[in-house]
Amino acid sequence: MFSNTHMGHTVMGRKRFIKSLLITALFNTFIALFLTQLEYGKGFAINFIFSQCLGLSICTSIMAGHLFLKNATALQHFFMILITMTLGATFGSLLGILFAGLPVTEIFQGRPALLFQLIFIGIVFGSIITYFFFSQERISQARAEMQEEQIKRLDSEKIALETHLKMLQAQIEPHFLFNSLSTVLSLMETDKEKAARMLTDLTQYLRVSLSKTRAENTTIGQEMEMARAYLDIYKIRMGDRLQYHIQSENGLKEKAIPPMLVQPLLENAVKHGLENNVEGGLITITTNSDHRKIRIAVADTGKGLGETSDAGFGLMNIRERLHSLYGQEGKLILEENRPKGLKVTIEIPHGKHNGHYR
Amino acid sequence: MENTTAIIAEDEKELRNHLRSQLLEIWPELQIVGEARNGKEALELIERHGPDIAFLDIQMPGLSGMEVARKVARSCRVVFVTAYDEYAVKAFENEVVDYLLKPVTRERLGKTVSRLKSEITSPDPLALEALQGVERVLAGLTEHKSTNFLRWIRVQHEKSLQLIPVDEIYYFKSSDKYTVVRTETNEHLIRKPIKELIRELDPHLFWQIHRGTVVNVTRIAGVSRSLTGKGAVRLKNISDSLTVSQPYMHLFKQM
Repeated sequence: MFSNTHMGHTVMGRKRFIKSLLITALFNTFIALFLTQLEYGKGFAINFIFSQCLGLSICTSIMAGHLFLKNATALQHFFMILITMTLGATFGSLLGILFAGLPVTEIFQGRPALLFQLIFIGIVFGSIITYFFFSQERISQARAEMQEEQIKRLDSEKIALETHLKMLQAQIEPHFLFNSLSTVLSLMETDKEKAARMLTDLTQYLRVSLSKTRAENTTIGQEMEMARAYLDIYKIRMGDRLQYHIQSENGLKEKAIPPMLVQPLLENAVKHGLENNVEGGLITITTNSDHRKIRIAVADTGKGLGETSDAGFGLMNIRERLHSLYGQEGKLILEENRPKGLKVTIEIPHGKHNGHYR
Repeated sequence: MENTTAIIAEDEKELRNHLRSQLLEIWPELQIVGEARNGKEALELIERHGPDIAFLDIQMPGLSGMEVARKVARSCRVVFVTAYDEYAVKAFENEVVDYLLKPVTRERLGKTVSRLKSEITSPDPLALEALQGVERVLAGLTEHKSTNFLRWIRVQHEKSLQLIPVDEIYYFKSSDKYTVVRTETNEHLIRKPIKELIRELDPHLFWQIHRGTVVNVTRIAGVSRSLTGKGAVRLKNISDSLTVSQPYMHLFKQM
């Protein structure tokens, strides 16, 4: 009944309300028995009526108070409970007097202390019950939080494992490898020099790409070398259709970045920006930084993304990876390239990431 | 008998040349009547020349080799050429479809050629059923079927046009002539009205909870109900609260 935080709880507000009332009624019965045992009051029947009136009235008014007071501070809650409890106790006492059939006027004239006594008893027991409910709520909230925490942890572990797996698979795309080897093979017959150049590029690409599995870290310089080799291979394969341009800020060469962040951007640019585009196009890689962030952008001149397009969704696991490595500070930004195409930018903070790169 | 005719469709020039020279060497009588750089050109060539055989690379810009094959399977024999695709190869084997793996070796091409030579005499081009079998297998492999739901929202951010994946959006809320797009860290304005968005968004992901509000269900942290029957939706990680008007409260009932 207090500070509902979970969807289920509040939507089933009515059920909870009734449940709270029933628990309170049970408590009230015990209180009545207890007071009768102490030989307080005029027997069990009267005590029962009074404790039910007081208890239910306090319970109802506190719950009503909670409905009106949402997202309040703890202090506000405390005062709200204090006020509603006093009001509830007063109302409950009067109700009890009425139900018990005691002459109201007599009570006020003869023994006004009785009313205050009733209110006092109401507040004392009311506090005990409220405390009971409150700790119950705390316990269930803590449990729910713990579960949520656990789900979150499992989720992030799952993502880490999946990306690790994908990373291993993506290390060398077999399609890329076999197509490139086919080209080398055919060039051996027509243009031996070109074949040799391509084999050199392929070796360079494989060397960098494979060495990165062992190292957890790579540098921007190394990633750019790899990009160059990769695009050179495509340039030979696609003939005049591919042009590329790398614009790298000088001071960034030695900056450490997680591996396999730039490669998927290149693959995406070639696949969606070029391969499916009969005329071919231009890929531009830019790296730059300011005092807070490092940015690596890959732009193509393909047909870009439509609003319902599937393309580019492969990049979404990079976003998740950036998120797990850098939190809010790691970003993947997709923009329209001018005059056409897609520009994908990775934005990461300077310095160290959160540790493991998986 | 007339010479057997063929076309080659392959987007990489080197590979196209290589396949042609290999074919001419192994099968000098074969007449290569055309070469295509993409699926569309391949289709045009097949329609114009009506060749006996079409060598089709599967991954091509525009139409894929698979799509071309579906259109022409009744009129000519198709040989698929692919670099690497263990699943496709499995599908081909199961359905007895002709295929070549890149890099194409002389021995393998020789085998295919002799098989083609014997087949070409019997007038039975690639059975459409076989092709459908291959397509079924391949369709099962493609991850998600594309739907027509919105996947990206185009917003103006500073000086550039950014694309935000819809699953990153918390909610859309109409505001005068615009619609507010709320993400975890930003608020953008777009011109597309809520009414239009509702039609285009995936209804499993986005719920309308008010005349002017559509919320991403996966971003909801909780809902509470006030005495007046209205609800308040709280969201994960951000402090915004959204009103659920009475007619939409039923959405949260069974939770």
